[in-house]
Amino acid sequence: MTKQLHDNICKEHLFSSIFNKYSKDLHDFLYYKFGDRLNPKDKVQEAFVKLWQNCAKVRPDKAKSFVFTTANNLMLNEVAHQKVVLKHQQTKPKMYTNENPEFLMQEQEYNDKLQRALSNLTEPQRVAFLMNRVEGKRFKEIAELLDISTKAVEKRIYGALDKLRKEIKEL
Amino acid sequence: MMDREKLILKWLNNDLNDQELQAFKTLEDYDDLERLNNNLQSFKADDYDSSSELEKVLSSIKTKKTQITRHWIKPFMRVAAILAICLSVYYYSTMVDTTYITDVAQKTIIQLPDASSVSLNAKSTLVFNKKDWKKERDVTLEGEAFFKVSKGSTFNVITESGTVTVYGTEFNVKQRDNYFEVICYEGLVGVTHNDHETKLKPGDSFLIIDGKLIAKEKENRSTPSWLNNESQFKSIPFKAVVSEFERQYGVNFTLMGIDSTQLFTGSFSHDNIDIALQSITLPLHLTYSKENNTIILKRE
Repeated sequence: MTKQLHDNICKEHLFSSIFNKYSKDLHDFLYYKFGDRLNPKDKVQEAFVKLWQNCAKVRPDKAKSFVFTTANNLMLNEVAHQKVVLKHQQTKPKMYTNENPEFLMQEQEYNDKLQRALSNLTEPQRVAFLMNRVEGKRFKEIAELLDISTKAVEKRIYGALDKLRKEIKEL
Repeated sequence: MMDREKLILKWLNNDLNDQELQAFKTLEDYDDLERLNNNLQSFKADDYDSSSELEKVLSSIKTKKTQITRHWIKPFMRVAAILAICLSVYYYSTMVDTTYITDVAQKTIIQLPDASSVSLNAKSTLVFNKKDWKKERDVTLEGEAFFKVSKGSTFNVITESGTVTVYGTEFNVKQRDNYFEVICYEGLVGVTHNDHETKLKPGDSFLIIDGKLIAKEKENRSTPSWLNNESQFKSIPFKAVVSEFERQYGVNFTLMGIDSTQLFTGSFSHDNIDIALQSITLPLHLTYSKENNTIILKRE
Protein backbone atom coordinates (compact mmCIF):
# COMPACT_ATOMS: atom_id res chain seq x y z
CA MET A 1 0.00 0.00 0.00
CA THR A 2 1.56 3.26 -1.05
CA LYS A 3 -1.10 5.58 0.23
CA GLN A 4 -0.50 6.80 3.76
CA LEU A 5 -3.20 5.60 6.08
CA HIS A 6 -2.13 8.00 8.78
CA ASP A 7 -0.26 11.21 8.40
CA ASN A 8 1.27 11.03 11.84
CA ILE A 9 2.10 8.43 14.45
CA CYS A 10 0.55 9.91 17.56
CA LYS A 11 -1.55 6.79 18.11
CA GLU A 12 0.03 4.47 20.61
CA HIS A 13 -0.57 1.30 18.58
CA LEU A 14 0.98 2.88 15.51
CA PHE A 15 3.93 4.06 17.53
CA SER A 16 4.35 0.61 19.07
CA SER A 17 4.32 -1.10 15.71
CA ILE A 18 7.01 1.26 14.44
CA PHE A 19 8.98 0.56 17.56
CA ASN A 20 8.71 -3.18 17.11
CA LYS A 21 9.68 -2.89 13.48
CA TYR A 22 12.82 -0.79 13.86
CA SER A 23 14.05 -0.71 17.42
CA LYS A 24 16.17 -3.87 17.22
CA ASP A 25 17.76 -2.85 13.94
CA LEU A 26 18.44 0.58 15.36
CA HIS A 27 19.98 -0.97 18.44
CA ASP A 28 22.19 -3.27 16.37
CA PHE A 29 23.18 -0.42 14.09
CA LEU A 30 24.25 1.68 17.08
CA TYR A 31 25.98 -1.26 18.70
CA TYR A 32 28.08 -2.15 15.69
CA LYS A 33 28.85 1.45 14.94
CA PHE A 34 29.68 2.75 18.41
CA GLY A 35 30.18 -0.37 20.52
CA ASP A 36 28.41 -0.92 23.81
CA ARG A 37 30.16 1.72 25.89
CA LEU A 38 27.59 4.42 25.22
CA ASN A 39 24.50 2.39 26.02
CA PRO A 40 22.88 1.83 22.63
CA LYS A 41 19.69 0.70 24.41
CA ASP A 42 19.33 4.02 26.17
CA LYS A 43 19.86 5.88 22.92
CA VAL A 44 17.18 3.82 21.21
CA GLN A 45 14.80 4.73 24.02
CA GLU A 46 15.71 8.39 23.88
CA ALA A 47 15.31 8.49 20.13
CA PHE A 48 11.84 6.92 20.30
CA VAL A 49 10.77 9.24 23.11
CA LYS A 50 11.82 12.12 20.86
CA LEU A 51 9.85 10.56 18.03
CA TRP A 52 6.81 10.51 20.30
CA GLN A 53 7.28 14.14 21.27
CA ASN A 54 7.45 15.06 17.61
CA CYS A 55 4.84 12.56 16.51
CA ALA A 56 2.60 15.23 14.98
CA LYS A 57 5.39 16.37 12.69
CA VAL A 58 6.78 13.01 11.56
CA ARG A 59 5.00 11.02 8.88
CA PRO A 60 5.08 7.20 9.31
CA ASP A 61 7.34 6.74 6.31
CA LYS A 62 9.83 9.17 7.81
CA ALA A 63 9.79 7.64 11.28
CA LYS A 64 12.61 5.20 10.58
CA SER A 65 15.04 7.82 9.34
CA PHE A 66 13.97 10.09 12.19
CA VAL A 67 14.94 7.63 14.89
CA PHE A 68 18.11 6.52 13.11
CA THR A 69 19.29 10.09 12.66
CA THR A 70 18.27 11.10 16.16
CA ALA A 71 19.94 8.15 17.85
CA ASN A 72 23.05 8.59 15.73
CA ASN A 73 23.25 12.25 16.73
CA LEU A 74 22.70 11.39 20.38
CA MET A 75 25.68 9.05 20.10
CA LEU A 76 27.82 11.57 18.28
CA ASN A 77 27.08 14.14 20.98
CA GLU A 78 28.65 11.84 23.51
CA VAL A 79 31.30 10.00 21.66
CA ALA A 80 34.79 11.27 22.22
CA HIS A 81 35.93 9.70 19.09
CA GLN A 82 37.73 6.64 20.23
CA LYS A 83 38.36 3.43 18.48
CA VAL A 84 35.40 1.09 18.88
CA VAL A 85 36.29 -2.29 20.28
CA LEU A 86 33.42 -4.72 20.14
CA LYS A 87 33.32 -7.02 23.07
CA HIS A 88 33.83 -10.66 22.49
CA GLN A 89 31.17 -12.87 24.01
CA GLN A 90 32.55 -15.93 25.70
CA THR A 91 29.92 -18.22 24.28
CA LYS A 92 31.49 -21.40 22.98
CA PRO A 93 30.44 -22.51 19.53
CA LYS A 94 28.60 -25.74 20.02
CA MET A 95 29.96 -27.54 17.02
CA TYR A 96 33.39 -27.92 18.53
CA THR A 97 33.64 -30.75 21.00
CA ASN A 98 37.32 -31.45 20.65
CA GLU A 99 38.43 -28.62 22.90
CA ASN A 100 42.00 -29.36 23.67
CA PRO A 101 44.05 -26.53 25.21
CA GLU A 102 46.03 -25.89 22.07
CA PHE A 103 42.90 -25.48 20.03
CA LEU A 104 41.44 -23.13 22.62
CA MET A 105 44.57 -21.05 22.56
CA GLN A 106 44.51 -20.80 18.81
CA GLU A 107 40.88 -19.80 18.93
CA GLN A 108 41.65 -17.13 21.49
CA GLU A 109 44.42 -15.79 19.34
CA TYR A 110 42.23 -15.77 16.26
CA ASN A 111 39.48 -13.94 18.06
CA ASP A 112 41.88 -11.31 19.35
CA LYS A 113 43.06 -10.70 15.82
CA LEU A 114 39.50 -10.54 14.63
CA GLN A 115 38.59 -8.08 17.33
CA ARG A 116 41.44 -5.76 16.36
CA ALA A 117 40.64 -6.12 12.68
CA LEU A 118 36.99 -5.23 13.32
CA SER A 119 38.09 -2.12 15.17
CA ASN A 120 40.12 -1.10 12.18
CA LEU A 121 37.16 -1.21 9.81
CA THR A 122 35.45 2.06 8.98
CA GLU A 123 32.16 2.60 10.78
CA PRO A 124 30.00 2.11 7.65
CA GLN A 125 31.92 -1.06 6.78
CA ARG A 126 31.60 -2.52 10.24
CA VAL A 127 27.90 -1.74 10.51
CA ALA A 128 26.98 -3.21 7.15
CA PHE A 129 29.24 -6.23 7.52
CA LEU A 130 28.08 -7.26 10.98
CA MET A 131 24.43 -6.59 10.22
CA ASN A 132 24.90 -9.04 7.38
CA ARG A 133 27.13 -11.64 8.96
CA VAL A 134 25.86 -11.65 12.53
CA GLU A 135 22.29 -10.43 12.24
CA GLY A 136 21.76 -12.34 8.99
CA LYS A 137 20.35 -9.37 7.12
CA ARG A 138 20.36 -9.43 3.34
CA PHE A 139 21.92 -6.62 1.32
CA LYS A 140 18.56 -5.19 0.39
CA GLU A 141 17.36 -4.97 3.98
CA ILE A 142 20.51 -3.22 5.06
CA ALA A 143 20.24 -0.83 2.14
CA GLU A 144 16.72 0.10 3.24
CA LEU A 145 17.75 0.63 6.83
CA LEU A 146 20.67 2.83 5.95
CA ASP A 147 18.96 4.60 3.07
CA ILE A 148 21.69 3.67 0.61
CA SER A 149 21.77 1.55 -2.56
CA THR A 150 22.17 -2.23 -2.53
CA LYS A 151 25.29 -1.80 -4.58
CA ALA A 152 26.81 0.41 -1.88
CA VAL A 153 25.99 -2.17 0.77
CA GLU A 154 27.59 -4.86 -1.34
CA LYS A 155 30.68 -2.75 -1.70
CA ARG A 156 30.91 -2.04 2.02
CA ILE A 157 30.46 -5.67 3.00
CA TYR A 158 32.86 -7.09 0.43
CA GLY A 159 35.38 -4.40 1.30
CA ALA A 160 35.05 -5.25 4.96
CA LEU A 161 35.51 -8.95 4.33
CA ASP A 162 38.58 -8.29 2.23
CA LYS A 163 40.12 -6.02 4.81
CA LEU A 164 39.44 -8.40 7.68
CA ARG A 165 41.02 -11.36 5.94
CA LYS A 166 44.09 -9.40 5.00
CA GLU A 167 44.56 -8.09 8.51
CA ILE A 168 44.05 -11.47 10.13
CA LYS A 169 46.70 -12.94 7.85
CA GLU A 170 49.14 -10.15 8.59
CA LEU A 171 48.70 -9.91 12.33
CA MET B 1 31.37 -21.27 -13.55
CA MET B 2 31.00 -18.02 -11.65
CA ASP B 3 34.03 -16.15 -10.62
CA ARG B 4 35.19 -16.13 -7.04
CA GLU B 5 33.99 -12.65 -6.04
CA LYS B 6 30.47 -13.31 -7.32
CA LEU B 7 30.30 -16.56 -5.38
CA ILE B 8 31.49 -14.91 -2.20
CA LEU B 9 28.98 -12.10 -2.60
CA LYS B 10 26.18 -14.57 -3.15
CA TRP B 11 27.33 -16.46 -0.09
CA LEU B 12 27.33 -13.25 1.91
CA ASN B 13 23.80 -12.50 0.78
CA ASN B 14 22.62 -16.06 1.48
CA ASP B 15 21.82 -16.34 -2.20
CA LEU B 16 23.68 -19.48 -3.24
CA ASN B 17 21.74 -22.25 -4.95
CA ASP B 18 22.85 -25.87 -4.55
CA GLN B 19 25.07 -25.85 -7.56
CA GLU B 20 26.70 -22.59 -6.55
CA LEU B 21 27.16 -23.84 -3.01
CA GLN B 22 29.11 -26.79 -4.31
CA ALA B 23 31.27 -24.48 -6.33
CA PHE B 24 31.73 -22.20 -3.30
CA LYS B 25 32.87 -25.14 -1.19
CA THR B 26 35.60 -25.91 -3.67
CA LEU B 27 37.11 -22.43 -3.32
CA GLU B 28 40.54 -22.52 -1.78
CA ASP B 29 39.56 -19.99 0.90
CA TYR B 30 36.33 -21.76 1.85
CA ASP B 31 37.73 -22.95 5.18
CA ASP B 32 39.06 -19.51 5.98
CA LEU B 33 35.72 -17.89 5.28
CA GLU B 34 33.81 -20.45 7.30
CA ARG B 35 36.14 -19.99 10.24
CA LEU B 36 35.86 -16.23 10.05
CA ASN B 37 32.13 -16.49 9.82
CA ASN B 38 31.89 -18.77 12.84
CA ASN B 39 34.11 -16.62 14.95
CA LEU B 40 32.28 -13.45 13.98
CA GLN B 41 29.18 -14.79 15.72
CA SER B 42 30.81 -14.19 19.07
CA PHE B 43 30.82 -10.45 18.40
CA LYS B 44 27.07 -10.37 18.22
CA ALA B 45 25.35 -7.33 19.64
CA ASP B 46 23.84 -7.54 23.13
CA ASP B 47 20.48 -9.23 23.29
CA TYR B 48 17.67 -6.87 22.55
CA ASP B 49 14.15 -7.53 23.70
CA SER B 50 11.86 -5.25 21.72
CA SER B 51 8.78 -5.76 23.84
CA SER B 52 10.43 -5.02 27.17
CA GLU B 53 12.21 -2.01 25.64
CA LEU B 54 8.92 -0.79 24.24
CA GLU B 55 7.37 -0.99 27.69
CA LYS B 56 10.15 1.18 29.06
CA VAL B 57 9.70 3.73 26.30
CA LEU B 58 5.94 3.86 26.75
CA SER B 59 6.24 4.30 30.48
CA SER B 60 8.81 7.05 30.07
CA ILE B 61 6.56 8.71 27.49
CA LYS B 62 3.76 8.68 30.00
CA THR B 63 5.87 10.34 32.64
CA LYS B 64 7.20 12.72 30.00
CA LYS B 65 3.65 13.71 29.18
CA THR B 66 3.52 15.76 32.34
CA GLN B 67 6.78 17.28 31.22
CA ILE B 68 5.22 18.18 27.91
CA THR B 69 2.48 20.06 29.71
CA ARG B 70 5.28 21.66 31.69
CA HIS B 71 6.73 22.76 28.32
CA TRP B 72 3.99 25.21 27.75
CA ILE B 73 4.39 26.47 31.28
CA LYS B 74 7.82 27.60 30.11
CA PRO B 75 6.58 30.92 28.66
CA PHE B 76 4.82 31.55 31.95
CA MET B 77 8.06 30.87 33.73
CA ARG B 78 9.69 33.52 31.56
CA VAL B 79 7.02 36.03 32.40
CA ALA B 80 7.34 35.11 36.04
CA ALA B 81 11.08 35.63 35.87
CA ILE B 82 10.64 39.08 34.36
CA LEU B 83 8.07 39.94 37.01
CA ALA B 84 10.44 38.75 39.69
CA ILE B 85 13.17 41.02 38.33
CA CYS B 86 10.78 44.00 38.19
CA LEU B 87 9.61 43.28 41.72
CA SER B 88 13.12 43.04 43.04
CA VAL B 89 14.07 46.29 41.34
CA TYR B 90 11.00 47.90 42.90
CA TYR B 91 11.80 46.33 46.24
CA TYR B 92 15.40 47.48 46.03
CA SER B 93 14.41 51.01 45.09
CA THR B 94 12.04 51.23 48.05
CA MET B 95 14.72 49.80 50.29
CA VAL B 96 16.91 52.74 49.48
CA ASP B 97 16.65 55.54 51.97
CA THR B 98 14.74 58.68 51.11
CA THR B 99 16.74 61.85 51.71
CA TYR B 100 15.60 65.46 51.98
CA ILE B 101 18.12 68.28 52.06
CA THR B 102 17.43 71.96 52.57
CA ASP B 103 19.94 74.62 51.63
CA VAL B 104 20.71 77.95 53.22
CA ALA B 105 17.62 80.13 53.63
CA GLN B 106 15.33 77.26 52.62
CA LYS B 107 12.64 75.48 54.60
CA THR B 108 10.48 72.58 53.67
CA ILE B 109 7.68 70.44 55.03
CA ILE B 110 7.97 66.71 54.54
CA GLN B 111 5.11 64.26 54.77
CA LEU B 112 6.30 60.97 56.25
CA PRO B 113 4.77 57.63 55.12
CA ASP B 114 2.23 57.78 57.94
CA ALA B 115 0.38 60.96 58.85
CA SER B 116 3.45 62.38 60.56
CA SER B 117 5.05 65.49 59.14
CA VAL B 118 8.39 67.15 59.52
CA SER B 119 9.23 70.81 58.98
CA LEU B 120 12.85 71.06 58.02
CA ASN B 121 14.73 74.28 58.81
CA ALA B 122 17.49 75.74 56.64
CA LYS B 123 20.68 73.78 55.88
CA SER B 124 19.40 70.49 57.26
CA THR B 125 19.21 66.91 56.11
CA LEU B 126 16.55 64.32 56.89
CA VAL B 127 16.88 60.66 55.92
CA PHE B 128 14.35 57.90 56.38
CA ASN B 129 13.40 54.55 54.92
CA LYS B 130 9.95 54.20 53.40
CA LYS B 131 10.10 50.43 53.32
CA ASP B 132 10.85 49.87 56.98
CA TRP B 133 8.48 52.59 58.10
CA LYS B 134 5.83 50.21 59.40
CA LYS B 135 8.36 48.28 61.43
CA GLU B 136 10.47 51.09 62.79
CA ARG B 137 9.91 54.79 62.42
CA ASP B 138 13.51 55.97 62.36
CA VAL B 139 14.67 59.20 60.82
CA THR B 140 18.19 60.51 60.77
CA LEU B 141 18.53 64.24 61.22
CA GLU B 142 21.32 66.68 60.69
CA GLY B 143 20.25 70.23 61.43
CA GLU B 144 16.93 71.39 62.79
CA ALA B 145 13.44 70.10 62.32
CA PHE B 146 10.04 70.25 63.93
CA PHE B 147 8.17 66.99 64.14
CA LYS B 148 4.47 66.33 64.30
CA VAL B 149 4.28 62.64 64.97
CA SER B 150 1.05 60.73 64.56
CA LYS B 151 0.21 57.97 67.01
CA GLY B 152 1.85 54.66 66.35
CA SER B 153 5.00 52.77 67.17
CA THR B 154 8.02 54.49 68.69
CA PHE B 155 9.46 57.22 66.57
CA ASN B 156 13.19 57.78 66.71
CA VAL B 157 15.11 60.81 65.55
CA ILE B 158 18.73 59.83 65.31
CA THR B 159 21.29 62.62 65.37
CA GLU B 160 25.04 62.74 65.90
CA SER B 161 24.55 64.16 69.37
CA GLY B 162 21.86 61.77 70.58
CA THR B 163 18.68 59.98 69.83
CA VAL B 164 15.25 61.42 70.44
CA THR B 165 12.53 58.90 71.09
CA VAL B 166 9.00 60.01 70.68
CA TYR B 167 6.10 58.80 72.70
CA GLY B 168 3.81 61.68 71.99
CA THR B 169 3.42 64.11 69.22
CA GLU B 170 5.11 67.46 68.73
CA PHE B 171 8.69 68.39 69.30
CA ASN B 172 11.60 70.31 67.83
CA VAL B 173 15.10 68.97 67.40
CA LYS B 174 18.04 71.25 66.73
CA GLN B 175 21.42 69.72 66.26
CA ARG B 176 24.16 72.07 65.08
CA ASP B 177 27.89 72.28 65.75
CA ASN B 178 28.29 71.67 69.49
CA TYR B 179 24.63 72.50 69.94
CA PHE B 180 21.86 70.05 70.62
CA GLU B 181 18.42 71.18 71.65
CA VAL B 182 15.14 69.32 71.92
CA ILE B 183 11.93 71.06 72.88
CA CYS B 184 8.78 69.10 73.50
CA TYR B 185 5.54 70.87 72.62
CA GLU B 186 3.01 68.12 73.10
CA GLY B 187 3.02 64.56 74.42
CA LEU B 188 6.16 62.92 75.70
CA VAL B 189 9.66 62.86 74.23
CA GLY B 190 12.68 60.90 75.38
CA VAL B 191 16.17 62.18 74.63
CA THR B 192 19.07 59.79 74.84
CA HIS B 193 22.36 61.58 75.16
CA ASN B 194 25.51 59.71 76.19
CA ASP B 195 23.38 56.63 76.95
CA HIS B 196 21.27 58.59 79.39
CA GLU B 197 17.61 59.11 78.61
CA THR B 198 15.77 62.24 79.69
CA LYS B 199 12.01 62.41 79.32
CA LEU B 200 10.53 65.72 78.27
CA LYS B 201 6.99 66.81 78.99
CA PRO B 202 5.25 69.58 77.05
CA GLY B 203 7.16 72.80 77.52
CA ASP B 204 10.32 71.01 78.67
CA SER B 205 13.49 71.43 76.73
CA PHE B 206 16.81 69.73 76.62
CA LEU B 207 19.83 71.79 75.62
CA ILE B 208 23.46 70.88 75.36
CA ILE B 209 26.05 73.43 74.28
CA ASP B 210 29.67 72.37 73.99
CA GLY B 211 28.84 69.18 75.82
CA LYS B 212 27.32 70.96 78.84
CA LEU B 213 23.72 70.51 79.82
CA ILE B 214 22.02 73.85 80.17
CA ALA B 215 18.85 74.31 82.15
CA LYS B 216 16.13 76.32 80.47
CA GLU B 217 12.87 77.71 81.69
CA LYS B 218 9.58 76.34 80.47
CA GLU B 219 8.68 76.93 76.89
CA ASN B 220 5.18 78.34 76.58
CA ARG B 221 4.78 78.46 72.84
CA SER B 222 3.00 75.70 71.02
CA THR B 223 5.35 75.55 68.04
CA PRO B 224 8.96 76.57 67.52
CA SER B 225 9.40 80.18 66.48
CA TRP B 226 11.25 79.35 63.28
CA LEU B 227 8.05 77.94 61.83
CA ASN B 228 6.82 81.55 61.93
CA ASN B 229 9.99 82.79 60.27
CA GLU B 230 11.57 83.97 63.44
CA SER B 231 14.51 82.68 65.42
CA GLN B 232 14.18 83.06 69.16
CA PHE B 233 16.91 82.74 71.72
CA LYS B 234 16.90 82.69 75.48
CA SER B 235 20.34 82.99 77.06
CA ILE B 236 22.08 81.39 74.14
CA PRO B 237 25.77 81.99 73.37
CA PHE B 238 26.10 84.68 70.74
CA LYS B 239 28.05 82.39 68.36
CA ALA B 240 25.05 80.07 68.09
CA VAL B 241 22.89 83.05 67.27
CA VAL B 242 25.35 84.18 64.61
CA SER B 243 25.55 80.75 62.95
CA GLU B 244 21.75 80.50 62.87
CA PHE B 245 21.70 83.94 61.24
CA GLU B 246 24.24 82.74 58.66
CA ARG B 247 22.06 79.75 57.87
CA GLN B 248 18.91 81.78 57.49
CA TYR B 249 20.34 84.53 55.28
CA GLY B 250 23.28 82.80 53.61
CA VAL B 251 25.79 85.36 54.81
CA ASN B 252 29.13 85.24 56.64
CA PHE B 253 29.93 87.10 59.84
CA THR B 254 33.22 88.54 60.92
CA LEU B 255 33.29 89.35 64.63
CA MET B 256 35.75 92.10 65.60
CA GLY B 257 36.62 92.11 69.29
CA ILE B 258 33.39 90.57 70.39
CA ASP B 259 33.01 87.84 73.01
CA SER B 260 31.09 85.19 71.10
CA THR B 261 30.27 83.26 74.25
CA GLN B 262 28.22 86.06 75.84
CA LEU B 263 24.61 85.12 76.19
CA PHE B 264 21.93 86.55 73.97
CA THR B 265 18.25 86.75 74.58
CA GLY B 266 16.01 87.95 71.80
CA SER B 267 14.93 87.04 68.31
CA PHE B 268 15.42 87.91 64.67
CA SER B 269 13.08 87.67 61.72
CA HIS B 270 13.83 85.65 58.61
CA ASP B 271 12.18 88.12 56.25
CA ASN B 272 14.20 91.32 56.47
CA ILE B 273 17.95 91.22 56.92
CA ASP B 274 18.29 94.81 58.09
CA ILE B 275 15.69 94.53 60.81
CA ALA B 276 17.14 91.16 61.73
CA LEU B 277 20.65 92.63 62.00
CA GLN B 278 19.38 95.40 64.20
CA SER B 279 17.59 92.84 66.36
CA ILE B 280 20.78 91.05 67.17
CA THR B 281 23.15 94.02 67.36
CA LEU B 282 21.23 96.67 69.32
CA PRO B 283 20.74 94.66 72.52
CA LEU B 284 24.50 94.02 72.70
CA HIS B 285 25.48 97.54 71.65
CA LEU B 286 27.15 96.43 68.45
CA THR B 287 27.41 98.09 65.05
CA TYR B 288 27.35 96.28 61.75
CA SER B 289 28.54 96.98 58.25
CA LYS B 290 27.68 94.93 55.15
CA GLU B 291 30.14 94.10 52.41
CA ASN B 292 28.68 91.80 49.76
CA ASN B 293 27.95 88.63 51.68
CA THR B 294 30.09 89.43 54.65
CA ILE B 295 28.83 91.25 57.67
CA ILE B 296 31.30 92.80 60.07
CA LEU B 297 30.23 93.27 63.67
CA LYS B 298 32.05 95.73 65.95
CA ARG B 299 31.60 97.21 69.37
CA GLU B 300 30.01 100.61 69.37
